[in-house]
Amino acid sequence: MSRKLIGAVIAFGLSAAVATAQDYPAKEIQGIIQWGAGGSTDTVMRAVTPHAETVLGGTVVMQNMTGAVGAIALNHVAGSDADGYTLLMGAENPLLYKVMGLGDKDYSEFTPINILARGTPILVARNDAPFDDYAGMMDFIKANPGELRIGSTGPGGVPSVVTAMMNTVEGTLDVTAIPYDGDGPALTALQSGAIDVMPAVLGAAIESIRAGAMKPLAIFDTEASAKLPDVPTVTSFNDGYSTYLPWGPFFGVFVPKGTPDDVVAKLTVAYTTGAQNADFLALMDGRGFTMMSISGDEATEFLTTWQQNTAWLLQEAGLTKASPEEFGIARPGE
Amino acid sequence: MDTLLAILTVFTQPDLLLLVAIGTFAGIYIGAIPGLSVTMAVSILISFTFSWEVYPAISLMVGIYMGGVYGGSRTAILLNIPGAPSAIATALDGYPMAQRGEAGQAIGVTTVMSFFGGLIGILVLALAAPYVSVFALKFQPRDYMLLAVLGILLVGSLSSGSLVKGIFAGALGLAIGAVGRDPLTFTERLTFDLQLMEGGISFIAVMIGMFGVSEALLQLQNVNKTAIRQKITKIVPSFGVIRKYLPLSLQTSTIGVIIGALPGTGGDIAALMAYDHAKRVTKNPKVPFGKGAMEGLVAPETANNAAVGGAFIPMMTLGIPGDAVTAIMIGALFIHGLNPGPMLMIDQPDMFWFIVGALFMANIFMLIFGLTGIRIFTKIVEMPRAVIIPLILLLSIVGAYAVNNSISDVYWMLGFGVFGYFMRHYGYPLGPVILGVILSRLLDDNWRRAIISDREDLGRFFEGILTSPLSFTLFAAVILIFVSQTPLWTALKIRLFRKASQ
Amino acid sequence: MDPEFRGDQDHHDGTSDATPGGYDAKRRPGELGFALFLSLASAILFYNAYAISGFEALSAPGSVPMATTAVMLISALVVTWRTARLPRVTVETLRGDILPMTVLIFAGFLVIFGLLLKPLGFLPTAALFLIAAIRLLSGWGWPRSILTALGALAVIWIVFRVIFTVLLPSGVVPEAEFIQLFRNLLSGGGS
Repeated sequence: MSRKLIGAVIAFGLSAAVATAQDYPAKEIQGIIQWGAGGSTDTVMRAVTPHAETVLGGTVVMQNMTGAVGAIALNHVAGSDADGYTLLMGAENPLLYKVMGLGDKDYSEFTPINILARGTPILVARNDAPFDDYAGMMDFIKANPGELRIGSTGPGGVPSVVTAMMNTVEGTLDVTAIPYDGDGPALTALQSGAIDVMPAVLGAAIESIRAGAMKPLAIFDTEASAKLPDVPTVTSFNDGYSTYLPWGPFFGVFVPKGTPDDVVAKLTVAYTTGAQNADFLALMDGRGFTMMSISGDEATEFLTTWQQNTAWLLQEAGLTKASPEEFGIARPGE
Repeated sequence: MDTLLAILTVFTQPDLLLLVAIGTFAGIYIGAIPGLSVTMAVSILISFTFSWEVYPAISLMVGIYMGGVYGGSRTAILLNIPGAPSAIATALDGYPMAQRGEAGQAIGVTTVMSFFGGLIGILVLALAAPYVSVFALKFQPRDYMLLAVLGILLVGSLSSGSLVKGIFAGALGLAIGAVGRDPLTFTERLTFDLQLMEGGISFIAVMIGMFGVSEALLQLQNVNKTAIRQKITKIVPSFGVIRKYLPLSLQTSTIGVIIGALPGTGGDIAALMAYDHAKRVTKNPKVPFGKGAMEGLVAPETANNAAVGGAFIPMMTLGIPGDAVTAIMIGALFIHGLNPGPMLMIDQPDMFWFIVGALFMANIFMLIFGLTGIRIFTKIVEMPRAVIIPLILLLSIVGAYAVNNSISDVYWMLGFGVFGYFMRHYGYPLGPVILGVILSRLLDDNWRRAIISDREDLGRFFEGILTSPLSFTLFAAVILIFVSQTPLWTALKIRLFRKASQ
Repeated sequence: MDPEFRGDQDHHDGTSDATPGGYDAKRRPGELGFALFLSLASAILFYNAYAISGFEALSAPGSVPMATTAVMLISALVVTWRTARLPRVTVETLRGDILPMTVLIFAGFLVIFGLLLKPLGFLPTAALFLIAAIRLLSGWGWPRSILTALGALAVIWIVFRVIFTVLLPSGVVPEAEFIQLFRNLLSGGGS
């Protein structure tokens, strides 16, 4: 017993005294996943981390910490020591917390390790919907105000941003938005006919589209997807969208600001190398994600632009709780 | 022929067989410990089995799933603390049996009936998966809402004391489920503007507190009473006993499969609904419900294991998870390079049949391990209370923390433990609280979806109920059960009965 | 035996949930107070639920909470009214039957546990709790109490922390370094 205690004291003293980057990682690293088990963020993170672990030579223990649209996990990691032993594995939502009134922290309190990939939004409709393409849907909305049921996943989610884009480009559309708590349940509802159309992430809908269980209306991108080459881009129907596209949700690994530079460098190398693994690339490709794997200033730049574009888009669509200006989020192009 | 070979894969490869066995064995213990959940175990397994082939990984997960759903009944019977949400109904009649020293018999019946339920679930999965998934897709938000209302009405059969206290408990549960940021609009609800409350109150924390901590606190008053000696003879129920409960278990297994197959509802709701069903159809139980009725064990245990097979139905045919565990398994299939979705059955039918075979084996291992390890488990209850009570409290704390790695869940758990202690003393039933928490989101979210779809028009809403056959059936069931619980019905029955006898 | 009696024989404590404690026609000490507390709490919750979105729309986020808290309030008031009219049980006292000393002590233990968990860490807090609790309840000597407590704690810690990687608050104990040291030893020995 006493020997264990002495050992503990020594280990503690050592780790406190010489916790430098040469030793990093000297203990397990906690990876806090912002979303629940089985979701896309969870799957992507659990798929890439083992490859990164090999490079890092350490263990990353991944934990799901859900609640309050991911804000609980974000606040937890932001409040932990900036020593590289707590990672946030998150998605795009935190960049909208401030304007949506969901929290007072976002990725500006973090250093990005790697922005792994981004998703492409796609508009899908149930099979027996009375239209077959984007133009047909627009005609239907005009002829039947309020009758089109469109799935949503709450303020700030992918569908709300896509809907905001549609309202900005096409003029305000009279549709009924039915809220779901994720695109999985919403796509299920689409197949059961509870909603008519759903702006989803390509990866979540791709298998059902291939099986003919739902029909794709338009890809929200400037060029067609290699996975579904026959689906027209939304810009081919209305060029107004090209101002906002390409746009998409993304996944990334972050550490709290103030983490020693050499630790950040080690983690960056680990995740960048891990993201190049062939199995991981195949998985991402199969799910229809566009690989990015950017880090450093490039990632920071990406985050800033993403936040400006999206926050102001939502602001102009009247969906925000507070103006982006209040938080110093500049108007795009300024 | 290929189908047969695929089913038999698991039998012909000893390593796969061993993994299913290990999984089932581990699952029973994971299920039995409150706070260790199958969901947790399976998501850890994703990283653990990352570099494995897909079949061994799935074998282990399937074993844990089957064993875990069954394992929850152990602690429910022996300690009155359900190890998993799906075993809440099992505690109602299982624990009174243990108090009479009949824990061995209770576990025996539970095991055999879980096996039977599991078997029905697997059979339906193997033979009718496409039809069941088409039926499950018929459910609209309106129907889910009616299903939740039907569930809320179980309060009547879960509260044997005062009905008003039961109604209070049920409403309290619904309110607890609403705390936190609303998942649909992100509005803060009942949070008192505290950041601590934003994430809501974990349902598992409430369950562990109300059942675990309050039970431990109560037992403190009996510390010096010697533990009841458990008879462990006659563990395997006789064929006659099994035949007697066969009709009931067929009905409750059906409930289990359907509830399990519906996306968004799982074994916990299935078990409670089955318990209620048993209470309704059993006219003269040998022992009254709540005092150790065998039917009260048969119903929930067949239903929750049948729900396992049910949960795989939408997963395998549509790529839609039937519950939290199958959601993680879909993720696992992705990581292993498969694309679960409607095409999986067509592209890789072997995978489907392999899972059927693995489930079948897990079910058999569950029967074997379930019937053999009873002696060790009953020894736990015979341990001195002075040791077991502190251990229950400690496990409750660790378990509540483990759910979401959050200390605030521990505080909630302890708070609800003390609250539950008073509720028990003053005759408030705890079952309805848990029922309310389970059903809260199902009811609330689907009510809002339904009424938004009908553009806030109640007339249109009811028109929808009356014109859809499914909604109408559910609505009629709600009305019938509601009326049968009110005094009006009893009065009417007495009058009718008198007239007939005159 | 009292025909209206439900529950455990020597303490009316409702040991099984299906047969809650208490009496049908009598009120236990503190029962009225509890009912009043529930009514008050329900009223506060109802007010809060109203504050979410008022009567804005049928589909508003506050609609269902308002309905459920209203049911809580009404049923709590009915319970209070009924309880108030019942005669008190004469043979029971609050201190003797509802809140005996051991329960109060353990409630205190749990509060201390909750407070110490984060700053001190899980292992020391749990060890202190188990030793104190087992010693108090069993009346065993210190050595036996300590051994039993630490043995049980070791099993729980290995299952949750090592196998299930639940990151319990480490506090003053450098658990993670310890596990890493152990891992290094294992991999070092293996190679």
